[in-house]
Amino acid sequence: MKIKKANAGALTNFEVLDFLRSRGAAKDPTRVIAPIAASEFKVYDYLVESAACNQTRESINELLEKCKKYDLAKAEILNIINIRPASPVEIDPIIEESEKRMGEGIEDLIEMVITVLPPPPNQMNTEEEVVAGDEEIADGEQTTTETTTTTMATEN
Amino acid sequence: MFYLSLIEHTLRLPPHLLDLPLNEAIKGELESLFLDKVIANLGLCISVYDIRSIDGGFVFPGDGASTYTVEFRLVMFRPFVGEIITAKLKESDANGLRLSLGFFDDIYIPVHLMPNPCHCEPNPEKKGQVIWIWDYQEQKFPIDGIDEIRFQVQSVSYPPIPVEQPKESKPFAPMVIMGSLDYDGLGPVSWW
Repeated sequence: MKIKKANAGALTNFEVLDFLRSRGAAKDPTRVIAPIAASEFKVYDYLVESAACNQTRESINELLEKCKKYDLAKAEILNIINIRPASPVEIDPIIEESEKRMGEGIEDLIEMVITVLPPPPNQMNTEEEVVAGDEEIADGEQTTTETTTTTMATEN
Repeated sequence: MFYLSLIEHTLRLPPHLLDLPLNEAIKGELESLFLDKVIANLGLCISVYDIRSIDGGFVFPGDGASTYTVEFRLVMFRPFVGEIITAKLKESDANGLRLSLGFFDDIYIPVHLMPNPCHCEPNPEKKGQVIWIWDYQEQKFPIDGIDEIRFQVQSVSYPPIPVEQPKESKPFAPMVIMGSLDYDGLGPVSWW
């Protein structure tokens, strides 16, 4: 076995997830029919719970374009895409000497990350609970009006 | 976390695979050879990305199988130093924490790379395990197994295969990642 090129390109979590999905990992609940090994399914399980699961190629390209003006290292951009930081304290371990290099720019960078990349599933759940609460109240009112109309119909 | 590596390998294709189309037979052989195995200094092989070229197909004298020289790319898991990874707690003892990614379990956070200052208390639920607690500004933050833990990769080492192992010791780990929690924003996600 010869190693021709140890590093033929870095992959973001999204690209690996996309590759596994294109081979059929997502569509198979039994996990026997798709041509994917059990160890690859473990990687798929990990990636589906990370921030990569609802990213798209377009959103990543957009992020790369907008990151150019901040002069970040390739490894830092890779970390940002994989982790999707949502606050300054999360950016701190990713970017070295963030205060010296960027100062005020950190807030803009975080704003941009939050708008361009979709939030990971566990953050989305807390937002959905708030929305679902309002919807439940609306549904309750609807059902009471429906029952009154049906009673009127039976009476007639 | 993931890289592509270009590898060339001379592969012997057993005769019982001759009825399959060549691409599939070679991909199957490569997967059984490399998948879920660690290659020194390259990392853990996750999957075969694509096959670049297949050469050869010679049958050597005295052998029933044909031999191919295949050039292909593998998706390797090899975190770089300084990368931030989110993992789940697997066990914690007096030497530090052990984290797991599902497909990779040998991630250790030694005591000296835990956030300063912290101390450990014996875990009432599980025998032999301790809970690590971070004392920050007179508040206690425990590291419990509930949410995911973010750590920074400190080093990736590939210990050489030991010749003999005493029976009771842990199974040999060909790739070990040392992580650190000693920075703002690292540790269980709920702390921040």
